Amino acid sequence: MKPAAFQYLRPVAIEDALRQLARFAPEGKLIAGGQSLAPMMNMRLARPAQLIDLNDLTELAYVKEAGEWLRVGALTRHQRLAASPLVQRHCPLLAQAAQTIGHYAIRQRGTIGGSLAHADPAAQLPLVAVTLGARLQLRRQGGERTVDAADFFLSAMTTALAADEMIEWIEFPKARPGEAAAFRLFNRRHGDYALVAAAATVECEGGTVQRLRLGVGGAAAVPQALRALAGTARGRLADDGWVAEVAQAAARQVDVDEDARVPAQYRRELTQVLVGRALGRAVADLRA
Amino acid sequence: MDQQSITLTVNGRNIEFAAEPRKLLSDALREDCGLTGTHVGCEHGVCGACTVLVDGQPVRACLTFAVQMEGHEISTIESIGEHGALSPLQQALHETHGLQCGFCTPGIVMTFEAFLRANPDPGEDEIRDALSGNLCRCTGYQNIVAAIRLAAARLREAA
Amino acid sequence: MNAQAFRHIGSHVPRKEDERLLTGRGRYIDDIAVPGALHATFVRSPHAHARIRSIDAGEALQRPGVVAIFTGQDLAAWTTRHRMAPPIDGLQPVEMDTIPVSKVRFQGDPVACVVAADRYTAEDAAELVQVEYEALPAVTSMWQALDPASPLVDETLPSNLLSHQHATHGDVAAQMRQAHRVVESEFSQQRQTHLPIETRGCIAVWDEGRQHLTFHVGIQVPHPYRTTLAARLRLAESQVTVISPDVGGGFGQKIALYREELAVAAIARHLKRPVRWREDRLENLLASSQAREDFVRTRAAVDAQGRVLGLELEIVEDFGAYSFYPGNYLARVVAMILTGPYRIRHYGYDVKVLLSNKVGNGPMRAPMSITSWVMEGTLDAIARELALDPVAVRRINMVGAAELPYTMATGEVLADITPRETLEAVLAAVGYEAFRERQRAAREQGVYLGLGICSVVESTTYGSKFYKSAGIPGSGHEAAWVRIEPSGVVNASCGLGATGQGYETALSNAVAEGLGTTPANVRIQLGHTDVAPYGMGSRGARGGTAGGGTLYLCAQEARAKVLAIAAARLGLADPGELRMTDGRIERRAGAQWQDSGLTLADVARTAYLDPLMLPPGMAPGLEFHLAYEPPPMTYSNSTHACEVRLDPATGALRIERYVVAEDCGTVLSPVVVEGQQHGAIAMGLSGALFEHVEYDQQGQNLSGTLADYLVATACELPKFEVISMHTPNRATPAGVKGMAEGGVMGALGAVANAVNDALAPFGVTASRHPLTPMSLRELLRGRRPGVAPGPAAAEASRPATIE
Repeated sequence: MKPAAFQYLRPVAIEDALRQLARFAPEGKLIAGGQSLAPMMNMRLARPAQLIDLNDLTELAYVKEAGEWLRVGALTRHQRLAASPLVQRHCPLLAQAAQTIGHYAIRQRGTIGGSLAHADPAAQLPLVAVTLGARLQLRRQGGERTVDAADFFLSAMTTALAADEMIEWIEFPKARPGEAAAFRLFNRRHGDYALVAAAATVECEGGTVQRLRLGVGGAAAVPQALRALAGTARGRLADDGWVAEVAQAAARQVDVDEDARVPAQYRRELTQVLVGRALGRAVADLRA
Repeated sequence: MDQQSITLTVNGRNIEFAAEPRKLLSDALREDCGLTGTHVGCEHGVCGACTVLVDGQPVRACLTFAVQMEGHEISTIESIGEHGALSPLQQALHETHGLQCGFCTPGIVMTFEAFLRANPDPGEDEIRDALSGNLCRCTGYQNIVAAIRLAAARLREAA
Repeated sequence: MNAQAFRHIGSHVPRKEDERLLTGRGRYIDDIAVPGALHATFVRSPHAHARIRSIDAGEALQRPGVVAIFTGQDLAAWTTRHRMAPPIDGLQPVEMDTIPVSKVRFQGDPVACVVAADRYTAEDAAELVQVEYEALPAVTSMWQALDPASPLVDETLPSNLLSHQHATHGDVAAQMRQAHRVVESEFSQQRQTHLPIETRGCIAVWDEGRQHLTFHVGIQVPHPYRTTLAARLRLAESQVTVISPDVGGGFGQKIALYREELAVAAIARHLKRPVRWREDRLENLLASSQAREDFVRTRAAVDAQGRVLGLELEIVEDFGAYSFYPGNYLARVVAMILTGPYRIRHYGYDVKVLLSNKVGNGPMRAPMSITSWVMEGTLDAIARELALDPVAVRRINMVGAAELPYTMATGEVLADITPRETLEAVLAAVGYEAFRERQRAAREQGVYLGLGICSVVESTTYGSKFYKSAGIPGSGHEAAWVRIEPSGVVNASCGLGATGQGYETALSNAVAEGLGTTPANVRIQLGHTDVAPYGMGSRGARGGTAGGGTLYLCAQEARAKVLAIAAARLGLADPGELRMTDGRIERRAGAQWQDSGLTLADVARTAYLDPLMLPPGMAPGLEFHLAYEPPPMTYSNSTHACEVRLDPATGALRIERYVVAEDCGTVLSPVVVEGQQHGAIAMGLSGALFEHVEYDQQGQNLSGTLADYLVATACELPKFEVISMHTPNRATPAGVKGMAEGGVMGALGAVANAVNDALAPFGVTASRHPLTPMSLRELLRGRRPGVAPGPAAAEASRPATIE
């Protein structure tokens, strides 16, 4: 399966990329890691007239602290997120999730910007972004804006990105002391996209929950932060009974799309199991 | 349709050829560079047979356009060991019967030449995790895992 | 190791093939450079069933780099149609066009071939070919196909029933009437595809001057393929040479002459230019042969102790749209060998094979894969129904050593097999009683373990008698030549087609053993029809017995002449006083053997360059040919045990342990055999748990990429513990039995039975494959453990009286 012909552009600075994008969008597309776009091009499901290669914009690959936030450049590869001590310290959920993406070779190339822009309903990084309340910096020629993750994912493979916009960086709120995080997913085979994934952070003080953040991915077109449910957690005792209650409630409240191969009922059952396991793990880590 | 001049640095040599931007790295290596050891199994990034090293890291050549690789260093299977002098990993695969038809083998060798440099003492789970990105239809993987452990041990000894 | 004391057969030598393959210097089809070759690609039907109204290639032909575009009409002029019509009662004769002319029968059926300067350009042009179709209603399930009112896939046939075979041995009906119980079971195996990591491909080079076609293709059966290819092109067989290079896996997908390959050959001849084609993975999933879609029902008449008194077997298979191989194969093999190592005298079967609007079936490694699952699953069902221990049920029914040779109800003769021994070995290795204890304790903790046992009697090597009665074209014999060159090195060949089985290594052992040289001194040449003798190729598991056996016998003939020459050189009257060991001639000296100073090289030199020194009347040279007809059927056997852990909350399965005891007789290369066993088991487990070619109700193939069609990776497969036994077959050369497919059969059955064992406390069984988490969860939803059927539920997990 050979891709259709395209014009190749290789900007050396972000301004060049933005200029090219402004000129050629929407037929022109950006390529970063290519792990999602290239297969679609080889199958001729995607046929951009121009391909703007971002891989020389190494200034967009970084992980750094920005006050209360951890800022990650859009071109940062999954492998770096998985292994970076900075990420493990300040955003352990992100590190855990990145470790589960695809396979070793895929993690060398795939980027966080690419994953977020691609917005696969089952992908790990969109789920983490939504669960933690991340914010994305979007840039176009002559302008930029910040968008909350909650407002970024609109539908399956559809985001708030305009055709002439690109993601520049993503900021995740830093983990607080007394907070633990856990990421659990269920797939058919190791490295496959998740049928359902659960992301949880819990902050406790003296065994009592201070803050719960909970997200479920893969169940519907976009990752879901179960904010209402999370809101009921404050002041609760972080014990096994509470974990089970949250897991049951999550399974009931989460939106689930029906699918010929994977019944909605099954996704709800997976939600309950995975939320229970993720939250259970996080609570156990805090006790230890 | 418009061909352009592309120069790739492969196994330490510069190779110049004309090709369209859409030409896949896997095809360019095989046809324009005359290096047929990199195999094509799926062209959508799942089977791992086309894995090469780019700047020392494993990359699926079928998901890369050759033109993207200008300015980078590509290593293919042809740079690993040679007749009568196999690399420790190749030698280990030979000893443990870690290959049958051989079609997936170069992709596995390239993946693990890199993996073992970064992970000199991997456990079985880690090995299988890294190997899960390479499909093999012949061996059932067991002897490949054994080879990687054996190679890792020998490399540690030699270090 | 092997029962007999061999020097080279059975030696643990790393493979000769490895060095070139490890260093990326193998030569697969796509690696062969043919200057000036054009590239082909195919335009394929998007519809499952449609009439072809018109094909307009005008715009496509305008594109620079496009040389020509051909349709079914063109190919019809240059080739004959394919006729599959063996004279078998109950099997409909069918024909197919080289490329469909008037009607397409599955999504992906080729309708035109685009030939261009490169593949990229060819694909650009293929998109522009306008085909007008008139869509027809599609037949997309075997049940629909059984309905006489369903649309006809093949309009020359009265219905979609391609083959109907049935037979009764003994008085099954009486046994059903008299039985203590009749136990019914169902087994539903899903559609799968072979998925070699190297897809199909070919290169056709037509020499107009010599009027000769050289056809490079990865193929398991070079000579039968050449015969068919020549005939279809209306060429004499001597006008065609088939050369098979290194092949990246076959598994049965690279046996038939496919339409694409024939089209490429015909087009190359027409254009008088070389043409090549490489199937891409999407095409491989869409249009390369598929397999295994079977529904099976058994009814077993049993007594109170679980003895099977009578057995009825019903199979319905969805064969797809085209016959790449005869539709009665299933009946002829599965039904024939189903009762396996069990003493069942009253047995009847009914096998229906249906056409549908899906890709045609082809034999996939262990085409009889369902056999052991069905037989062993039936025994487990009997055990559950009667609250008996499943091992006890096997022991009471299994044929023992004293009963061999045993003639099955179908007339098949089982000899030199060891099912009891492999069963007991596996049970000892897993610690059967200890497992049941662990299982019971685990259940109390809400952990669900299961153990599945599956014994396999694998038909490996089919003799001519079998093929004839099955209607499969071709013979069962194999041919070989061995040539000792003047310098003493040995070239040897047979008709097998290598696709990764290590023939160069294993067959070197066979030649070295028969002749008395070293394997390193032997070069095995395969796959070139001008070089190799006419043989039947590699299918089933015949490589060891047919290929190895023939070479072994041929090498022995060579040794006889070598020793006769040596005797003459040494002035001995009796060559029986001599032997050759690793190329050195030794002479008897009392009870010892002494080096005579003569070597194989010396003898060879004499034979070729000094023929006056040969014994009187002896012809010069050292070249030998031999053909060998194996017994009608050769069997090897194994027993597999699989332990699983089931998570009832999600339906997830983990394979905790896998043990197999196998007896494949004399083993040419233990390294190669172990690899084959691993690979076969892996394919069986992957098939039972992950693989599924799914078509929707309109006949659209939903499994179009490797993200949809799932095969097991290194993380899903367990370690395989192999216990090797070696009871030789007394009717084959060196006692070789062969193996390669039994692992698939055993794994399918063992994991299926393990899952049902784990599900037992919930009172449900899984009879549909693949055993996905969704499907297992579906069975478990709303059920609580402890609701087990049968009055003696408490006894179910304790072994019954052991014989």
